[in-house]
Amino acid sequence: MYNEIMAVYEGREGEKLVFQPRIKHWYDVNLFSGTLPDRYQGKYLDEIYADLGVAPREVWGYGGTSSEFAGYYGLTAVEGDDVEVWTRQSPGRRRSNPTEVDYIITEYKTPKGTIQQVQRPTEHGTSLMNVEYYLKDLGDFEVYKYILEERRYAWDDARYNWGFKRYRDYLPLRANLQRAPLMWLMIGTMGFQRTVTMLWRHPKEMGELLTLLELDFDKQLEAYRGKPVAELNFGDNIHQDLCPPPFFRKYMIPFFQRVIPKIHAMGMYTTSHWDGFVKQLLPLAQETGLDGLECVTPQPQGDVTLEEMKESMGSMFLRDGIPAVLFCPWVSTEILENHVHRLIETFYPRLILGVSDLLPANADVERLRLVKRIVKDFNDRL
Amino acid sequence: MTYTELFNRIKESLLSFDSEAVRIEVEEAIRVSVPVEVLIEALRGGMEAVGDKFRSGEFFVTDLIVAGEIVKEAQELLEPLMRNTPTADHNTVVVATVTGDIHDIGKNIFVMLMRAEGFRVIDLGVDVSSEKIIAAVKEYRPEILGLSALLTTNLEEFPKIVAALKKEGLRGCVKVIIGGATVTEQFARESGVDAYAKSAVEGVDFSRSWVENRL
Repeated sequence: MYNEIMAVYEGREGEKLVFQPRIKHWYDVNLFSGTLPDRYQGKYLDEIYADLGVAPREVWGYGGTSSEFAGYYGLTAVEGDDVEVWTRQSPGRRRSNPTEVDYIITEYKTPKGTIQQVQRPTEHGTSLMNVEYYLKDLGDFEVYKYILEERRYAWDDARYNWGFKRYRDYLPLRANLQRAPLMWLMIGTMGFQRTVTMLWRHPKEMGELLTLLELDFDKQLEAYRGKPVAELNFGDNIHQDLCPPPFFRKYMIPFFQRVIPKIHAMGMYTTSHWDGFVKQLLPLAQETGLDGLECVTPQPQGDVTLEEMKESMGSMFLRDGIPAVLFCPWVSTEILENHVHRLIETFYPRLILGVSDLLPANADVERLRLVKRIVKDFNDRL
Repeated sequence: MTYTELFNRIKESLLSFDSEAVRIEVEEAIRVSVPVEVLIEALRGGMEAVGDKFRSGEFFVTDLIVAGEIVKEAQELLEPLMRNTPTADHNTVVVATVTGDIHDIGKNIFVMLMRAEGFRVIDLGVDVSSEKIIAAVKEYRPEILGLSALLTTNLEEFPKIVAALKKEGLRGCVKVIIGGATVTEQFARESGVDAYAKSAVEGVDFSRSWVENRL
């Protein structure tokens, strides 16, 4: 498996195709709902991966609910000496059927002031949604800028060793970076609509904040330097409605063009997570310098055809590519099979096969076995 | 200044995202006693022009948001006047992201555009149970019910809500429109809803056509 994935990174041909679906969301929800299939009752996620005969994806993490790594966030943020982080967490986060009152409030207290985020767990407690973002007005910017200036990053040795024991010769280590600055503001700290209106109303202040966020990447990369990481992934969640082409040209491409050469200089490959509609953005993908794209979702769930994806991505590799909805019971297996055949035909050898974006909670897990069989047949013919 | 000139000026200012110019136009119109209904129509027309550019691919969702902000500010200038005017016959839409789903960007843009379009919008938020949705339909008697879901796990909520509307004898009183990336045309048909919108703008198009054709 290790060699086959490295072959994709390195652009080598003739190696076997790897199928590496994300199934942790499916596992978490069904575990908490008591609806895991009988054969998987009491099994660890790793054991289910082994039973299915597919490459594990959510590894190198401790594996608890809500710790969805799809790789490995290899760093720990170390806040400044006078930055205090307070979290009030209700018990609801870790139980099934949380209620509307189960809020998680996180406060950053600094000499410049305090910023606060409010989150609540989703239906099964397996993910969190933002009810309130940290950055609400320009006053919050000063607090956040102070936090960023004081923050540093440390390599998470304990977590690395945890994964190393299990996967050292099996999977190349893939670690995560923060979202690119614009996407981080939109999804992580400010919210989409506020980010858009703030860019329009306060371009100077937003520009300064984006610059500071970019400098934060230098700290993250420095912490990764010399570590046994094969791939660094930007967890960007790109969608053209959030980041349309003018934004992508103005904020994303220059960022990638400045940061990616530093990643390559450390001997690492790099990808970004594009899980929304991307038809208008794909023609710009190669300008970024990314080695590959994760999770681009073709029709019928996404807005692009396989042919459009291939044409735009050129020699970039694709991780995933099977729309999640094709694993749902109301879609015929013939459609799934046909899609997988066409996907392999279009992208192999620049392909690590997987689900775009992850296996839905109400998916038919046996369909993974069906895809596995197609992959085996393909590999047997090589 | 004729009304046509006013409409054009507001439209051009909106298309160039010039909030200051829109504000000045509206304030000036108020000063010379242009009826509030005319100003609402001028802003609606401006938003429609923005929507046209979105449909043609020239504008993006981010542009819809900025234009929506400008219109919202202008509508705030009109609010004191609207209090002194007989209540306009607004059509009502109830909007929600269904239970178990927290995705709200598409829904929020739909809400913003519908408000700019002159609809009275009751936004129930995200992760809303079918019981709450039915209760809102009973309470507000909307002409349109807009539902959104992004997760495949929550698509089953759509037929469930349609069935509940039927059971309560409300189905005939309300048009149901759904949206969300994992929804397909076929799924929408099988769910028994009236329309599936691929984008917030398409949702507004459906709503406008229903109202124009008296539903």
